[in-house]
Amino acid sequence: MLKYILRRILQIIPTLIGVSFLSFSLLYVFPGDPAELIVMINSGVEPSPEMVEKFRVEAGLDKPLIVQYINWLSKVIKGDFGTSWSTGEPVIEEIAGRFPASAQLFFSTFLISVAFAFLLGIIAALYRDKAIDHICRFWSLIGISIPSFWLGLMLIWVFSVHLHLLPAFGYGTLKHAILPVITWSVSFMAIKARFIRASLLDALNQDYILTARAKGLSEKTIVFRHALRNALIPVVTYLSLSMSHLIVGSVMVEVVFAWPGLGSLLVESVFKRDFPVVQALVLLSAVIFTITNLIVDILYAVIDPRIRYGD
Amino acid sequence: MRLTRRDFVKYTVVGATSLAGVSFLGCTQKEGGEVAKPTPVETKAEAKPVYKDTFVLGEGKDHRLKGGKWGIGFFPKIHVLERLVEYDIKNDKLVPSLAEKWDVEQDGKVIAFQLKKGIKFSDGTELNAEAVKFTMDRLIAKEHSLRPEKAEVLDEYTVAIHFKDAEFFNLAKMAEFHLSIMAPTSVNPVGDPAAELVKPIGTGPLKVVDYKENQYAIYEPNKYWYERRGIEPKFKKFVVKIIPDEDTRVMALRSGEVDAISDFSHGGSDYTPRNQLDILAGDGYKVYKRNIPLTWVIAFNYEKEPFNDSEIRKAVSLAVNRDEIVKIFDGHVRPAWNGMFAPEAPGMAKAGITYEYNPDKAKEILSDLGKEGVEVSFIVDKGQGDQILVAQLIQQQLNSVGFNVNLDILEGGAYKQKRDTGDYDMRLYYIGGTDRRFYLRLYWRFHPETKWKAYLSPRTGELCKAVLKEFDKTKREQHLIELYKVLYEEMGVVPLYHDVMTVVTSPKVEARQEQLFEMAEPFFYGVGAKL
Repeated sequence: MLKYILRRILQIIPTLIGVSFLSFSLLYVFPGDPAELIVMINSGVEPSPEMVEKFRVEAGLDKPLIVQYINWLSKVIKGDFGTSWSTGEPVIEEIAGRFPASAQLFFSTFLISVAFAFLLGIIAALYRDKAIDHICRFWSLIGISIPSFWLGLMLIWVFSVHLHLLPAFGYGTLKHAILPVITWSVSFMAIKARFIRASLLDALNQDYILTARAKGLSEKTIVFRHALRNALIPVVTYLSLSMSHLIVGSVMVEVVFAWPGLGSLLVESVFKRDFPVVQALVLLSAVIFTITNLIVDILYAVIDPRIRYGD
Repeated sequence: MRLTRRDFVKYTVVGATSLAGVSFLGCTQKEGGEVAKPTPVETKAEAKPVYKDTFVLGEGKDHRLKGGKWGIGFFPKIHVLERLVEYDIKNDKLVPSLAEKWDVEQDGKVIAFQLKKGIKFSDGTELNAEAVKFTMDRLIAKEHSLRPEKAEVLDEYTVAIHFKDAEFFNLAKMAEFHLSIMAPTSVNPVGDPAAELVKPIGTGPLKVVDYKENQYAIYEPNKYWYERRGIEPKFKKFVVKIIPDEDTRVMALRSGEVDAISDFSHGGSDYTPRNQLDILAGDGYKVYKRNIPLTWVIAFNYEKEPFNDSEIRKAVSLAVNRDEIVKIFDGHVRPAWNGMFAPEAPGMAKAGITYEYNPDKAKEILSDLGKEGVEVSFIVDKGQGDQILVAQLIQQQLNSVGFNVNLDILEGGAYKQKRDTGDYDMRLYYIGGTDRRFYLRLYWRFHPETKWKAYLSPRTGELCKAVLKEFDKTKREQHLIELYKVLYEEMGVVPLYHDVMTVVTSPKVEARQEQLFEMAEPFFYGVGAKL
C-alpha cells in the first residue's frame, strides 16, 4: 500500500507539469494583445506605445513563450507565482487573501449538500416509486434546473428585501454565509441525491441483500451496514470530483452575493488577462484534484476490503 | 426496510431545527457600516434633522486604494483628490480649482499655475508647488500617456508644467482624473515619485480610513475641505461597499443595507439598470440623473467595402430609429437626433445638425448603388449587456431596409482583436465621457495620431487638431462646429443616444441635485441619511 501511495504521488508531478504547460500556452491563444488589454483596462486611458512596451518588458512578454514558461516554472517550484499584472501584488497573497472565503463557502456547501443528498437519496431509494420518492426526485430535478444566479436573487428578494432576516450581500459573519450556501447547496445536492439513490438501488438489488434478509437481519442493518457501504464507492468517486468546484464552481454565487472568493478572482483575471493569477489558480485546481483523487483511492481500500493495492 | 413514521418525523425535525438554528446564529456585523449613535448636526437656527453617523454607498467597482501598478480608482480620484482646474462644459472653459490662475506661455507649451494659498491635504500638510511637481513626476516615472514633459517649481506656490506640443489640449488635460494632485506623503519614502503608494492623500472632501480589496472602502470627512467650503458634513463615516452585480446592488438598496447606489464614476459601465429606475422611483426611492457628454455610436470600418462609401453609411443612419433605441432604457437616455455630442457640448447647439430617420430613403440608396442584401458584420462587446440589446434592435432595423447584418457578440478581448485587425464592418462604440474627458475623448476618437479612432478623414483630422490647439474660445467653437458638420456630411459615425449618470438613494437620504452633480461624476460630500 505504501509503495502504491508513493508511486501515485510521483505520478502527480508529470501530470501537474502537463497541466501547467497547457494552461500557460493556451492563455496566449486568447484573442487580443494581453499587454495592451491589461494596460488599457487597468490604467483607465488609451495607452501610449511606451506604456505598453514598458509593461511588456516588465512582464517578460517580450521573450519567447518557452523561455517565459521555464522562467515561470522555476519560480513556481520555489513557491513564487509571480505578481498580479492588474494589482502588482504577489499572486500567492491574492489567492491567500481570497482562499478563506472560498473555503468557507465550499466546505459549508459541501457538508450541508452531502448530508441532505444522503437523506434525500436514501429516502428516495427506500420508498422507491412511492409519493415520497417522487417528491425527492422532483426536488432534485428542480435543484438541477434552477439557475443558481436566479435562485440567489430570489432568496435575497425574500429574506433580505422583504423579511429583513439576512444580509443581501457581503462576507464576514455567519449570517452572510447562509444565503450563498443555500443557493449553492440546492444544485450541489440535487445531482448527488439522484446519484446516491441510483447507487443504493443498485446495491439493494444484489443477491447478497436477499441473503441478508433471508438470514433475518433488520432492514436498518441491511441498508446502513451492507447496502450503503457497497453503494459508497461510486458515490465517493463522484464526491471527489466535486472538489474541483472549490475554485471555480462558485462563480455565480460569488458574483450575486459579492462574495470575495477564488471563483470571482479567476473570472476577473481571465477578463483582465491577468495571466499569472489564472495560471496559479489552474495549477492550484489541478493540485487539489490530483491529491483528492489519491485520497479517494486510499479511501476505496478502507471502504471495500476487497480492494488492496499491490505492495 | 421501512422507516417508521416516528423515525421520519424525528429526522426531519432535527434537520429543520438545525437549519433554523444556523439561520439565527451569528454575530453582528463587525466591518464598517454599523449604525452608531445618531449625530445631531449643530446648527445656528432651528433644530435640523438627525443623521446617521455612517452613510453607506453601493458601487460596482473596486476603489484600488492600494494603487498598485495602475493607480487608484476613479471614485477616490474625485472624492479624495482634486485637480488644478475643472472643466465647465456649459461655458467651455477651464475654471480654477487648486490653481488660482495660470499663465499660458509659448502658445501652451508651458503653463505656469499659481496655486491657491492655505489649502491643506487631509493629513495637514500644505498644498504647494512641490506637491504638484511630485504628482507630475509620478506620471512621468510611469510613462503615463497623459504625462507632461516636466514640472518645474518656480516658487513655493507656482509650478510651471512643460508639454511636448503647444496646444490648448495641455490645459484641458489638467482637469483629467489622472492629473489629480496627490500629497508627497502618500508614498513611502515620502516624496519619491517612483515609490509605492501607502494611501492616497489629497485635498478632496474625503480621506481614506480603511480598505479591503473588492469588499469595501471606508472614508471620513476631510475637515480642511469642509472648512474651505464653510459647510459641515452630514456623516462621520462614508462606507462604500463593492457589489459587482447590478441586480444585487438594487436589492441591497431595497433591503436598506446601503443608503444609495451609484453608477461607476467613469461612466459607461457598472450602472444601475435603466429599466429599474422608474420602478424604484415609483416605490419611493429618489433617482438623481445628470446628462453627460457621452454618446454611443455606430463606428464603421471605413477603410474597406462597403463602408468606405459615405452613401452606404448614410443609409445606415437613415435606417436607425433612435427613438426606438432609447426605449430600451425606458427613455432615461436621450436620442442623438441633433448631433454627435449631447446638446450641452460646446458648439453643438449652434451646429444646427439634424439626423433623419427615413428607412425608405435608406432602401433607395442601397437600391441605387446595387447594394441590396449587402452582408455586413457587426461586432459588439459582450461585457456591455445593454449594448447587446441595442445591437439586436439595430440589426433588425438595418435588415428591414436591405442590409444583411451578421451580429457577432464577442468577449472583450476578442472584440478588441477584431477591432484592431479591422476584421469587422460595423461596431458599437462610444464618444465622449464625463465632462472633464470631452477634449480627451475627442483626441482619442478623431486625432490622426491615436490608435483607436472612431473615424478619420483628412478634413476631420485637421479640424480635430485645430480644436485641440486653439486657446481662443470663439475660434475653438468654430472649429468644433465645422468638425461636427464634416462628421455629419461624411457620416463618419452614426450617433445613437446620449448617456446619463445616475444615483439612486433611499427615501431617507437627503441630497441635493446641484451638490450631487456639481461635476459630471456623482459627488457625495453633501449627502446625509436621516434616522
